[in-house]
Amino acid sequence: MSTVLETTGLGKRYGGTWALRDCTLRLPAGRVAALVGPNGAGKTTLLHLAVGLLRPDAGTVQVLGRTPAADSGLLTRIGFVAQDSPLYPDFTVPDLLKMGQKLNQRWDSEFASARLERLRIPFDRKVGKLSGGQRAQVALALALAKRPEFLLLDEPVASLDPLARREFLQALMGGVADDGTTVLLSSHLVADLERVCDYLIVLQESRVQVLGSVDDLLAEHQVLIGPRRAAAQASPAGVASVIRESHTDKQSTLLVRTNGPILDPAWTTRDLSLEDLVLAYLADPSAGVLPGPSPLGMDLTS
Amino acid sequence: MIEFHLDGHSKVATYMQLVQQVRQSLRLGLIDPGDQLPRVREVAEALAINPNTVLKAYRQLELEGLVSARPGVGTFVTRSLAGPSLANQAALRHDLIGWLSQARAAGLDQEDIVALVETTLRATFQEGIAEA
Amino acid sequence: MIWMTWRQHRQQVLFVLIGMVAVSALILPTGLRMHDVFTDSGLADCLRRTGDAEFVTVGPGSNDCAELANQFLARFGNLQPLAVLFAVLPLLVGLFLGAPLVAREVELGTHRLVWTQGVSRLRWAMIKFGLIGTGCLAIATAYTLLLSWWIRPLNGANGSRFTVLIFDQQGIVPIGYTLFAVALGIFAGTVSGKVMPAMATTLVGFLAVRLLVAGVARPHFQAQRERKFPVTSQVEPNQLNGDWIIHVGIYNSSGVQVAANQQRSCRPESPSPSPSATPAGPTPEGCEEGLYNLQIYQPGSRFWLFQTIETGIFVALAAVLVILAVYRVRRRIS
Repeated sequence: MSTVLETTGLGKRYGGTWALRDCTLRLPAGRVAALVGPNGAGKTTLLHLAVGLLRPDAGTVQVLGRTPAADSGLLTRIGFVAQDSPLYPDFTVPDLLKMGQKLNQRWDSEFASARLERLRIPFDRKVGKLSGGQRAQVALALALAKRPEFLLLDEPVASLDPLARREFLQALMGGVADDGTTVLLSSHLVADLERVCDYLIVLQESRVQVLGSVDDLLAEHQVLIGPRRAAAQASPAGVASVIRESHTDKQSTLLVRTNGPILDPAWTTRDLSLEDLVLAYLADPSAGVLPGPSPLGMDLTS
Repeated sequence: MIEFHLDGHSKVATYMQLVQQVRQSLRLGLIDPGDQLPRVREVAEALAINPNTVLKAYRQLELEGLVSARPGVGTFVTRSLAGPSLANQAALRHDLIGWLSQARAAGLDQEDIVALVETTLRATFQEGIAEA
Repeated sequence: MIWMTWRQHRQQVLFVLIGMVAVSALILPTGLRMHDVFTDSGLADCLRRTGDAEFVTVGPGSNDCAELANQFLARFGNLQPLAVLFAVLPLLVGLFLGAPLVAREVELGTHRLVWTQGVSRLRWAMIKFGLIGTGCLAIATAYTLLLSWWIRPLNGANGSRFTVLIFDQQGIVPIGYTLFAVALGIFAGTVSGKVMPAMATTLVGFLAVRLLVAGVARPHFQAQRERKFPVTSQVEPNQLNGDWIIHVGIYNSSGVQVAANQQRSCRPESPSPSPSATPAGPTPEGCEEGLYNLQIYQPGSRFWLFQTIETGIFVALAAVLVILAVYRVRRRIS
């Protein structure tokens, strides 16, 4: 499988503080990846490095096999929607579409205008007068009109109300389905992205903490509920590591990463949601899942 | 053509919900061999879900021999599910009723039985996968 | 990019055109009247007769030109404050065209939209700065031509084109000022990333550099010249020959200054002093033998040399600022 985004030891420093450091990751083509982390974890920095708005202070970043900041030809192959979907407020939608046409070699104006017409976005009004949800849709349509191979979105739904959020994600999923576009979208909310994303990158404190396919990560992690367990006691067979544990006098609840089935009948197992998983890791910055030398987990579905 | 729905509170994986809905429609005779399933883009857009999830569901159905994909055209139903399983279900149901009476005789109440079934079910299926 | 630049700045173009029309409405009628009076009063002919002679004979009728000039200034001198207004125009261009150019993009975040389209930032900056710069050059040229024409009678009446705020309104320096103001605005915008601070920086920076160059550097663009003439003499310097008088004073025979910022002219036949003071000082003690007036000045013939030097300074500063702005756009803004 080809790689769309690859970083090696990537770092960016503002003054004396690292906004991102030692970032090593690979994003395979065709994925819809969530870039998750608390505010200030380096999500925007990573996205800006990937689209060439920033130049790295350490390490390398490659997008579609090319170096973003040094290669403006790459800009025609990627789409980017910056945080808060910036648009020229005194432009109308046709103005923006014309702008895209003038500034890009590859541009599908009809694709974009058909999308926006279907969403009933007014074309005769300045975009500064549109609602936040409509502006986000316009910004997305502009990015999709480039028919990009790789689409990056910075907190696209953070400022939208629930309905606009759903409509945005519908448009996004519909928009990338035909071309199999690879997507990387950042968010500090996970719940919205659970059904949208099949790849997860968790950034915390400027570093990559969790990286992998959502299916693999969910299959690997389970909640175990069983009798009170002494701290020193060995974990049940099949447990690779305990991410979080809580105890009452009779019962222990463990959130574990597994390396095999948990067959011990003393333990009841529960699957967990992507949100639970992300929150568990965010609560413990020292824990982490990064792909090791061997492939991550096993695919339980095939 | 069928329309998919997702249960937001269900613990069942999204792709499996799609698979189950197709199977259910086949069992109920809502769709027949030759009918087309909704396009991946349409499902992804309508449900705001990852297109890969839809593809995964369709691949699963293809593996089960229920549908087949014609590149560039769409995914079509090839087999019906109405029929044989109904007969099997009757026999299994009969056995299950017998087992349940045994369990009650042994002193298990309804919740005990559910807990037992769940753990056994999981262990059995996980073993099966681990072996595979 | 050309369409994009037009679309983003068409409103400013409209404002500039309105501004030009307003300025023309002010300049054309007053200018025409000044030119008429300048010719009809005989001042033009008079100045042509005396030309750039260094000295004129003192005596009846010798001050005709000065007389006419004073009459002219009495009538039109109140237009000179307009020149102050015009001196602000390059600054306005810098404030309203230059400062928002990058700053507004960054303030709205639209730089992240436009710099991730299929056009490199270098190209974006070159075309945008180039077109805006060319537009400003055109505005400045038109405005300079108009103002040079308008101010010509005042030049004659003032006796020098070097006077502060008169020198700055004609020739080619307004073009230099305008380009500098725009470049400063653009650069300030790349540093602050916000329109208001960029405008404030442009305002302060422009005024500071202008005052520094006009007040400190300009008198020394070329070696200054001295002119000495006795207090008692048949001739006095031609006040209308275009020289830029930087310093005057009265000195005694041993070269010691006896009065600063004064000139004295005694008629040889009448020993009573009749000060022609610039400005009027305390009544001097007399017209003793050996006292002489000293003028330190730049000859009027150096006008275009000075114009070129000053324009060169501002164009060079503008070029440096544009290069820095391009660098910041390419490397420093995200």
